[in-house]
Amino acid sequence: MSEPNQLEKPPLKLGWLFEMAWRDSRKNRSRLFLFISSIIFGIAAIVAIYSFGYNVKKDVDNQAATLIGADLSISASKPADESMMPLLNSLGDRRSQERSFASMIYFPKGDGTRLVQVRALQGEFPYYGTLETTPTAAGTDFKNGKKALVDQTLMLQFNAQVGDSIKVGNSTFLIAGILNKAPGQTGIASGIAPIVYIPLQYLDQTGLMQKGSRINYNYYYKYDHDVNVTKLVKGMETRLEKANLNYDTIDTRKENTGRSFEDLTRFLSLVGFIALLLGCVGVASAIHIYIREKIASIAIMRCLGVRSTQAFLIYLIQIISIGLIGSVIGAALGSGIEHLLPLVFKDFLPISVSTAISWMAIGQGILLGVVISVLFALLPLIAIRNISPLNTLRMSYENINLLRDPLRWLVYTLIVGFIVVFSYFQLSSWQASIFFTIGILVAFLILTLIAKLLMRLAKLVLSNSWSYLWRQGFANLYRPNNQTIILIVSIGLSTTFICTLFFIQSMLVKQVSISATTNSANMILFDIQTSQKKQLEALTAHYHLPVIQQVPVVTMRINKVNGKNATQVKKDTTIQLSPHVFSYEYRATYRDTIIPTEKVIDGTWKGTAVSGTEVPISIEDRYAKKNHLKLGDHIEFNVQGSPVQTVIASIRTVNWTKMQTNFLVVFPKGVLEDAPQFYAMLTHVPSKQVSAKYQQAVVKQFPNVSLIDLGQVLSVLDELLDKLGDIIKFMSAFSIITGIVVLIASVRISKYQRIQESVLLRTMGASRRQILTITALEYLFLGALSALTGTLIAFTGSWLLAKFSFDIPFSADVTPAAGIFLAITLLTITIGLLNSRGVLNKPPLEILRGDS
Amino acid sequence: MYPFKKSAAILLSLLVISCGDKKTAKNTLADTLANKADLAGQTTPTSTKTILVFGDSLTAGYGLDDPSDAFPGVIKAKIDSLKLPYAVINSGVSGETSAGGLSRIDWVLKQKPDIFLLELGANDGLRGNSVAQTITNLQAIIDKVKAKYPDAKIILLGMQVPPSMGQQYVNDFKKMYPDLAAKNHIGLVPFLLENVGGITKLNQADGIHPNPTGAKIVAENVWKVLQPELH
Repeated sequence: MSEPNQLEKPPLKLGWLFEMAWRDSRKNRSRLFLFISSIIFGIAAIVAIYSFGYNVKKDVDNQAATLIGADLSISASKPADESMMPLLNSLGDRRSQERSFASMIYFPKGDGTRLVQVRALQGEFPYYGTLETTPTAAGTDFKNGKKALVDQTLMLQFNAQVGDSIKVGNSTFLIAGILNKAPGQTGIASGIAPIVYIPLQYLDQTGLMQKGSRINYNYYYKYDHDVNVTKLVKGMETRLEKANLNYDTIDTRKENTGRSFEDLTRFLSLVGFIALLLGCVGVASAIHIYIREKIASIAIMRCLGVRSTQAFLIYLIQIISIGLIGSVIGAALGSGIEHLLPLVFKDFLPISVSTAISWMAIGQGILLGVVISVLFALLPLIAIRNISPLNTLRMSYENINLLRDPLRWLVYTLIVGFIVVFSYFQLSSWQASIFFTIGILVAFLILTLIAKLLMRLAKLVLSNSWSYLWRQGFANLYRPNNQTIILIVSIGLSTTFICTLFFIQSMLVKQVSISATTNSANMILFDIQTSQKKQLEALTAHYHLPVIQQVPVVTMRINKVNGKNATQVKKDTTIQLSPHVFSYEYRATYRDTIIPTEKVIDGTWKGTAVSGTEVPISIEDRYAKKNHLKLGDHIEFNVQGSPVQTVIASIRTVNWTKMQTNFLVVFPKGVLEDAPQFYAMLTHVPSKQVSAKYQQAVVKQFPNVSLIDLGQVLSVLDELLDKLGDIIKFMSAFSIITGIVVLIASVRISKYQRIQESVLLRTMGASRRQILTITALEYLFLGALSALTGTLIAFTGSWLLAKFSFDIPFSADVTPAAGIFLAITLLTITIGLLNSRGVLNKPPLEILRGDS
Repeated sequence: MYPFKKSAAILLSLLVISCGDKKTAKNTLADTLANKADLAGQTTPTSTKTILVFGDSLTAGYGLDDPSDAFPGVIKAKIDSLKLPYAVINSGVSGETSAGGLSRIDWVLKQKPDIFLLELGANDGLRGNSVAQTITNLQAIIDKVKAKYPDAKIILLGMQVPPSMGQQYVNDFKKMYPDLAAKNHIGLVPFLLENVGGITKLNQADGIHPNPTGAKIVAENVWKVLQPELH
């Protein structure tokens, strides 16, 4: 095969090395495929998730654009300065203008007047999304004549039809269409006053633009080419501010919309990161087992005079090639999946996801595949240099400790460095990536430790009194050529990742969506006077609507804290208390219990006040912390003229995400009953028709009561948030499935190690059942233990992630975790048994001959 | 069916707790009596008389760093410098409508006013409440004051709504104050925000609430009518 005397001399003969790498692979093509498959799945997962995630993000961004309807909007509460006009007219490729203001409009047909928000529009706005109207064409056509678009609830309230007219100021407009949804209609203002659109060119005729009129001036801009609007705006921020102009970009609107978008982005990078790690686990365990199996061949080559460096290089070349082939196939598969998914799941996908090929993702995937393969192969590979020819003769290659090379520290460092750098690209924060890496190292160490413990324990407890099968199954855990460490680590890590994703996913979804049950309120009424309370309840009942909550609200301010008033606190620098507490106007309530969404974390809740003593009140935790208010602080409240002495008796946390009235300050019963107060009431309206009828009745009977239909206000936002929740669910389901595939691959890899043993057992007369039991027992221990450890690590990991990365309350259900645990254990056993099937179904001799 | 989401809930929470919904935050909101207690402590020995300013955010001084910069505070400073025996009680609550005032009036009337300044209605106007309803409420408040303290002098502080609200409504609203004053034979400040409303540099950024400079002019408008009543 080769000539030893030539090999003694440098150079290394690269061509020959390649040939050797090729020849060596020849015999193992079939099993090589198995190793490659692990790489393929890992890389496919990464590429698919990358490009899918990228596309999802882009599409969500486009959706978010409908929140504002343009790339940039600039608004002012007065006409812009002459000096600003050149700037305002230079922005954007397309421009629109709008004037908006509150006004009383008149419905001649129903002889009714109602406060609305008039929007006088000129130009093509909205550039993203549309003015959704009935009939559809009205959304753009109304600008061509003296026509108006009228909010649908308003139409219902006044029984108006398209074709009727309304009077805005001194002008009469024809109702061209019913306005169902408008971009940018997310402000709460629109809930109080329904919107009416009119063309800007008729605004002057209405006579509503006069001195003293309160008009908002809005300018909308759209760029037809790629412009970084955020950067652009940054450049003129000070000029705008000086001129009292406010701006809104898609980014700022997203920020204001809440953390949902940020959470999504973070979640997507977490998914990408975890996909990578799953890929690493798959690739690393594949390579590890592959090299171990090669030790015999390497020893023989060494006997024939191959130098250790050459042996090392032969396998390095092989690994790089395998890695490259696997990565390319994986990348192709990944792009394929990414293209197929939206087609297959079209109906289930929350939004129409575009399927552009992301070359970036493919390139990254291939590079990653090769780098991971090499890095993780290096560990066993450097050991090749230590394989002496003697190993052939002894044939007890288990004695070589593959990990006793000093160079291995270098490899470890490289691997850790790689994870840090790569996670940096995912998370774009060094601190976060270092924490993640440490977390993974800790998980890795725990799993290795557990594996070692298991091996030692198995050795200790194994006794001859056990049945043969149990002994065999147990002994497999520590006997030479065992897979305990490698399987526990890879199954354990996979479980950790899958579980973590699952936990975080459900926490985020919980955070994003509060389901629309009949229990959740979607309409709030406030300014209900005490005398109107009973009547309003009756009216609400008449419309078969639930009174979800009705709470008294008392307005008050703080006079003194611990005997010091605002001036004294400001002067005394030793007092930490924020002066803000004095300027704030508190809307407090009183009741005798704390409600389920509140939790007392310090002190004790007292439900009734004892006359003659200080009133025990409860303060919300974050507000107390922010303003340095402590348990036991004495506060003198000024309840509209009457001083009330109180003491902070409890600090409580409030779940602000719940759709209900929440309060910073809660009084006990027995103090504020006589104080001036109004009531706030929450109800749930099942439909727009009911909403309109109910609103009409309330406005008629209780003209002072203000009413906000939150369903209407937030419909645009709600839809988007709904979709975000679905995307999060979908992405995590996708990567969890990938994780399972990688898991299957890494267990499959162990197939060849077990085949020989099983065959030997069979030749010695073992029955099918016996072999199956032995295998099942071994995999039961491995699967159960690693899955359990993985689940526990995931609990800790998710808690840390929730607390530090996502800043959401941690909540993890035990039931799904138990489900994952069982599923993974079963999966491990099943795959393990499937591995042995090949042995069991064929005559032993066939395999023995075929294999060697 | 409307699904409800975090931001909705937070919005709602804010709304009720801080009354921070856009409308109330912009238009009204009262500082109540932060300075009232001080005033009461310093200047209400039994022999002094009381001016009670019953109103909304304009009275309370919404948005001002120091609530005593609001027009009742300016009037108080003026009275102090003239050494007149009057205490000024600021009883303004932000967001207060005439209906809110009506249900609060009993609590406030526990103390006896010698001069009662009624500054309500602006929030009714900005919410587009019916003028008839506002008239009924203001009348009821006046009746209650008269019933309990027949000697108290009442001065009504008139308001207007922006022309953008529509001519009909603007006119009806404007007319309400002189009508009420004539009917009840009480004092009237025709327009509280005369020479202040709609002038950018005299108002805060929200364009509704006067800044300290604006509040001085507001106090001047009130002073013209109030001064003859002081003894």
